[in-house]
Amino acid sequence: MHLPPRLVLQALVWGTIILGGLVTGLILLGAIIQFRRDRQNRYRIARYQAWEPALTDYLFCEEGQPRPFPEVPERDKDIFQIFLSRYHATLAGQEAEALRELYLALGVHHSLPKRLKHRVASVRAQAAMEIEAFRIAECLGEVVPLLNDPVPYVTHLAAKALTHSGDLAYARPVLDWVLGEERYQRERLLRVLEGFGPELLPWLEEHLEPPEAAPKPWILFALLAGSHRHRESEHRLLELLDVPLVDIQASALKALAALADPLTYPRVEPLARHEAWPLRAQAAKALGLIGGPDAIPILIQMTSDPVYEVRRNAAQGMADLGHAGTSALTWLAEDPTADPFARDIAQERLEWADERGHQ
Amino acid sequence: MWPENTQVLVVEDDQATARIIKARLEMEGLKVFSAANGVEGLELLHHEAIDLVTTDLMMPAMNGFRLVQEIRDLPPPKGRVPILLISSNQNEQDMIRCLAAGADDYMTKPISASVLVERLWRMHQRTFSAG
Repeated sequence: MHLPPRLVLQALVWGTIILGGLVTGLILLGAIIQFRRDRQNRYRIARYQAWEPALTDYLFCEEGQPRPFPEVPERDKDIFQIFLSRYHATLAGQEAEALRELYLALGVHHSLPKRLKHRVASVRAQAAMEIEAFRIAECLGEVVPLLNDPVPYVTHLAAKALTHSGDLAYARPVLDWVLGEERYQRERLLRVLEGFGPELLPWLEEHLEPPEAAPKPWILFALLAGSHRHRESEHRLLELLDVPLVDIQASALKALAALADPLTYPRVEPLARHEAWPLRAQAAKALGLIGGPDAIPILIQMTSDPVYEVRRNAAQGMADLGHAGTSALTWLAEDPTADPFARDIAQERLEWADERGHQ
Repeated sequence: MWPENTQVLVVEDDQATARIIKARLEMEGLKVFSAANGVEGLELLHHEAIDLVTTDLMMPAMNGFRLVQEIRDLPPPKGRVPILLISSNQNEQDMIRCLAAGADDYMTKPISASVLVERLWRMHQRTFSAG
């Protein structure tokens, strides 16, 4: 089918005009959006500049004096929330307390329940962060559903808000959330669980199923006992050494190393000969911290282990023993009849210490 | 009571934190110089008679760890200026690395400004009363 040339020309002309109009419209729209953003940014910066000196005056006024802070108009409260949240990660002690008082006095927290359900993820995250930072206990119940939020950083901040409250009523949902995460993330999430404090450990002992039935939470238990250096958990850690699961035993060894109780040496030493190398590696580390000079013969044996990680930890363990361990390492490094694996790892450890100017 | 004309260098890339630290130290009557990274900090250290340094660990251009090493490589008295590292990182290995590099003390965020002042005071006392 052939169209008359005049009609084709007209269509082309109109098409070009419409396209040109659309492009111009889009450019104008972009310019307007950009202009608005620039204006908002300038306004935000101006607000920040006004609040910054006011905040330092507020935080560091003379003791017993009334704390002054200029009134924040309703329309600026959203910006003010973000302004304040820049400081909560930095300040502790009296200043953090004063910051909380300011936050509550301005009534910014009244909008939290609404913001926790906001469709924009960054708003939900900000709300969870404020609940954590300013310890808004009455909103904690509304934070729990955010543990199922589709956006990972929102769930992370929600979990932090719950753990930092220290309220063990939220231990179960947070623990379930941690256990539902990928394994590689779980140890990182340990930092979140630490927020509950060492009181979580007796709670776990009371509420967890036996390790044979549900081993994963006990790995967390052991790692938490280590990071809190919770001596009261030592008896349970020793029991975990008898659970025939390498991950649990390795975590228990790690925790026992952190506790560094010499009385646990007889329980740790046999694991230096275990067939699973991750256990031998953890045992080597632990022996250096709890064994004293008695551990030197077994650590020397371990420096010729076929697995590099075990040899490395054994050499590290010897260095951790102080003068006696370092002398043994020097002897190994210089002995031409020593096992080549042992000699190499001893030399490597001594060179490493030498480069850093300490042993 | 701080000696007159005690000068502190605050090396911190986060302006909000730097401002808070500066305000608190100025309250103590200290003269405070601010730098946004290690390079600027080192420059200020060369040109001013700095008595104490606080530095963040993670910074662009030159981090706190490198800054500590660079300062310790300087001849005395500048090479012996007491250094307090402040970091948001609670990693034990980083702490050991920084102390081994020559930092005198280490604090992790969040920090109490009053504790910071007290630690700086102790560092100052140790250094200057030892002569």
